[in-house]
Amino acid sequence: MKEGFLIGGGLICAGLMLELSVGPVVWEAFAWPANGVVLAGFLAIIALIFLLRNKVYTCRFIGTYQAAIPTLVYAVILTIIMGLTRQTENGTWLNNMLVFWPFVLIYVYMAVILGVVILRRLTYLTSWLRLRPSRLGHPSKLGGSRCSVRWLRDIPFLLNHLGLFLAMTTATLGNADMQRLRMITVVGESEWRALTQDGAIREMPLAIELKQFIMETYDDGSPKRFASEIQVLTKSGKRIQTTVDVNKPVEVDGWKIYQYGYDTQMGAKSQISILELVSDPWLPLVYTGIYMMLAGAVCMFILGGRRKRV
Amino acid sequence: MTWEHFIYFAIGAVVLWAIGAWAAWKDRTTVAYTTTTLGLLVFFSFILSMWISLERPPLRTMGETRLWYSFFLPLAGLIVYSRWKYKWILSFSTVLALVFICVNLFKPEIHSKTLMPALQSPWFAPHVIVYMFAYAVLGASAVMALYLLFFKKEATDEEFEITDNLVYVGLAFMTIGMLFGALWAKEAWGHYWSWDPKETWAAITWLAYLVYIHYRLLPKHNPRLALWVLILAFILLQMCWWGINYLPSAQGSSVHTYTT
Repeated sequence: MKEGFLIGGGLICAGLMLELSVGPVVWEAFAWPANGVVLAGFLAIIALIFLLRNKVYTCRFIGTYQAAIPTLVYAVILTIIMGLTRQTENGTWLNNMLVFWPFVLIYVYMAVILGVVILRRLTYLTSWLRLRPSRLGHPSKLGGSRCSVRWLRDIPFLLNHLGLFLAMTTATLGNADMQRLRMITVVGESEWRALTQDGAIREMPLAIELKQFIMETYDDGSPKRFASEIQVLTKSGKRIQTTVDVNKPVEVDGWKIYQYGYDTQMGAKSQISILELVSDPWLPLVYTGIYMMLAGAVCMFILGGRRKRV
Repeated sequence: MTWEHFIYFAIGAVVLWAIGAWAAWKDRTTVAYTTTTLGLLVFFSFILSMWISLERPPLRTMGETRLWYSFFLPLAGLIVYSRWKYKWILSFSTVLALVFICVNLFKPEIHSKTLMPALQSPWFAPHVIVYMFAYAVLGASAVMALYLLFFKKEATDEEFEITDNLVYVGLAFMTIGMLFGALWAKEAWGHYWSWDPKETWAAITWLAYLVYIHYRLLPKHNPRLALWVLILAFILLQMCWWGINYLPSAQGSSVHTYTT
């Protein structure tokens, strides 16, 4: 375990030096196609470490508990620091952990370890599949139970680890491709311009006309429901009438349209509605990871800690 | 059906659950299964009739979601019991359900409390209920760790297996709760993970339990250190659950605080 803590400590030192020399991580630079290239390179490095596992000690070490546990401990500590300090978009060092090199490097290293253990487990599985015919030829009770237990162990293992790997890497790398814009719509007017998070004006591939702003309140005057009846016109010529509610976004041509806000001074009489338009092309990959982890969690509940008895 | 009738259903269900819990201690499994299931049916019939009379699922107010906690806790207890035959699990789930029932009985003013649009989602109840169950089971594992560290001193393999099973079940539910939260966040706020203080602390807690699980899988490990990790993880969980409401760094920046 000492080695694992030393490697993690080394990564944090390296991260601090990077922070001092090149400044914080610039995630915006990872926009497509850079993130695709980085992902391919990252997977190649993981594959290389895996292939060198019998030749290079460090590569073998990366796939062990002794490497994983200290990395998790470092991740916990750094994330606690993140939870205890106020995080701001313009913050530096500890006040903006997401672009702080030591934090990023530890999580990247965690993803490397995940990748290596996934590959290792996959080769176990395939070698077992190759061996199976001979095993079936000798149907001993022991062999049979061992085989079924293998599956019970390996499938949840892969769902949990591959799911996390997929969700983590694609969410991080895909973040640069995510677009979130706010559109201020006025009743009866068609709007196709939206504001980026930096306040710049962008022309959108779709136009939205606010037909009506709907507001319902409770007896005490607090908002019960606010929604926008809108008409969406796309570049491809589609014309869609729909209602956007809080918690019920509408998807048009890869854009999710959210009810974001309204003129709070006017309340129910508001003549404007603020919509948020979000596009996240990497979402299907992230969701695949999330659904895998969900399936893995269900397996974990059903099987419990039984795996150690194997 | 209104809240006025709640007390009768609640008493009926709790009595049945208590008999089930007692039967589990006495190793009368059939009685335990039957009475706990009957209690669940009694309780669910109230939920169902509320559903019909309200003409909407009773998931909107805090009081209504507590109904579901009170229902799901003995149900989850029953599942765990049928799986591992822990004698104490039904008592534990009954006491927890009773706590939520009592809150509903003695704090009725919350029943009519309005629910802001951001919380009106089908994800709301499962997200919170699954988390509550995870917290309950992980709480039991922390109790187990304290017992093994300070009272028992020397833990047997079986006691460690119980502790591990509790952590696996708790972490499974915590993972589901967290991912339900992510899927809901995408629908409500446009992004599945925003490193909101609550999310940051959820990640911390989740990783801390992963430390325990992986450390326990290490062939040569120190069992007492593992138990300490478990206690520490539960302290971090408290931070995630309610501690962040008092944390200066989280003030005003968390979308998870709904105090209006």
